[in-house]
Amino acid sequence: MGVSYLAVGWNRQKKIYDWFIFAFCVLYLSTFIAITAISNPDYTFETALIRSTATLAILLLHVILSIGPLTRINKKFLPLLYNRRHLGVTMFTIALIHGSFSILQFHALGNVNPFVSLFTANTQYNSVSKFPFQALGFFALVIFFLMAITSHDFWLHTLSPKIWKTLHLFVYLAYFLVIMHVMLGVVQYETNPVLFVMVLAGAAALITLHLVAGTREVRKDNQLFKLKSEGFVYVCESRDVPDNCAKIFCIDKERIALFRFEDKLYAIHNVCKHQGGPLGEGQIIDGCITCPWHGYQYLPQNGQSPLPFKEKVNTYHVKVAGSQVWLNPQPLPEGTERPGAAIIIPDNQIIENVK
Amino acid sequence: MNIAMIITIILILIVTYLLCGLLFAIPFVIKGVNRIDETAHGGSIGFRIIIIPGVMVFWPLLLKKWMKK
Ligand code: HEM
Ligand code: HEM
Ligand code: FES
Repeated sequence: MGVSYLAVGWNRQKKIYDWFIFAFCVLYLSTFIAITAISNPDYTFETALIRSTATLAILLLHVILSIGPLTRINKKFLPLLYNRRHLGVTMFTIALIHGSFSILQFHALGNVNPFVSLFTANTQYNSVSKFPFQALGFFALVIFFLMAITSHDFWLHTLSPKIWKTLHLFVYLAYFLVIMHVMLGVVQYETNPVLFVMVLAGAAALITLHLVAGTREVRKDNQLFKLKSEGFVYVCESRDVPDNCAKIFCIDKERIALFRFEDKLYAIHNVCKHQGGPLGEGQIIDGCITCPWHGYQYLPQNGQSPLPFKEKVNTYHVKVAGSQVWLNPQPLPEGTERPGAAIIIPDNQIIENVK
Repeated sequence: MNIAMIITIILILIVTYLLCGLLFAIPFVIKGVNRIDETAHGGSIGFRIIIIPGVMVFWPLLLKKWMKK
């Protein structure tokens, strides 16, 4: 953006989000520790802390991984997405407490270096029931660490979005490592299968969610636009676009977001200049198209970020004919001003079009 | 050579690498960062502190960028 870097770009909404995360974590940890203290008085505080942070971290990890597909399925989940990186950093911090206390508790008591002990205390790498599961947790934590330390926008620019995103995809490897860490660990520590079953159910739910959101995406991208005239293609009926929201159309392999704002229709390129977030999955807030990922804003009239910011995206011509909306997929130069296409027929008066 | 020795050596290498990064981070967050990214001009102290862990890990890349400017 056009202004200097701050440590954290807080605004009102993000503050509320962060307070909510913080309160939830404190509540979860204290409840967990209190229940452990009452039901199992012979547990040490360290053990309760290790277990409460472990379960909280894996819970947050499931939330983080389901936010993407959830917002694609239903816009109600958008508020969760805005500040996902803070959720990520929180998860890393909680997992770090869990890992550090585990190392303290299990490896720092002897005279071997704790990190050496982590890998050598148990070397039964070819056994399932006695596998050194802690090493798996360690590598997952290293991945989360790399993601957390590169979470500032500065790193996105410096490492290039491509490398940064690749780094991000490693979250799935980390997730797999965590699942194995828990599965192989719990067989050794627990007789109670509750956690085991919960983790399996969580993984199944995540995979289903990603599959459902993924197939929807593919179907939308393969939609064909057959009605064409003078460079415009017919895309939808005007009432199909919800107020202050968009519909995304993939025409000639380019994704275009068609927004409705004050009963006019505006089309802009769907890709945010910040990190390529899907603008059409965002909403219009304070008269600006607001990216669902980190809240970069663009004016619908010209695709430009309001001053002092300098980002610009491509805009497109839109036409309304009766109830039909026509879009010209030829991009105009970034930041080109063009009039919105006024909606002619009110939504409730559109009679089913004979196609 | 047993496993413990190998791991110890790897650990020493990693710690040395990170310490070099920490040394590099001092001039980098004060001066270098302004050179390689114009948005960092007038960046807050908080910003400069928050990028230090990343600098410790990615310092060879940043050094290369800084030398080029
Ligand atoms: C700490 C700094 C973090 C930042 C700035 C951040 C930000 C982002 C952004 C912008 C994306 C969208 C990029 C894309 O999908 O290609 C993303 C995706 C993702 N992030 Fe993070 N995140 C951070 C940490 C984490 C952590 C620690 C986790 C996991 C524990 C995580 C899990 C994910 C996953 C799974 C996706 C891709 C899924 C999807 O698109 O729905 N993130 N993150
Ligand atoms: C250095 C890294 C790590 C070490 C040394 C470590 C160590 C351990 C140990 C010793 C246990 C068994 C604790 C017990 O049941 O008393 C455990 C369990 C667990 N760990 Fe980790 N861990 C690490 C990283 C992680 C990470 C990154 C996550 C997830 C984000 C995680 C999630 C869990 C979970 C969910 C359990 C099961 C909790 C339970 O038994 O109630 N661990 N870990
Ligand atoms: S991708 Fe970050 S704000 Fe749009």
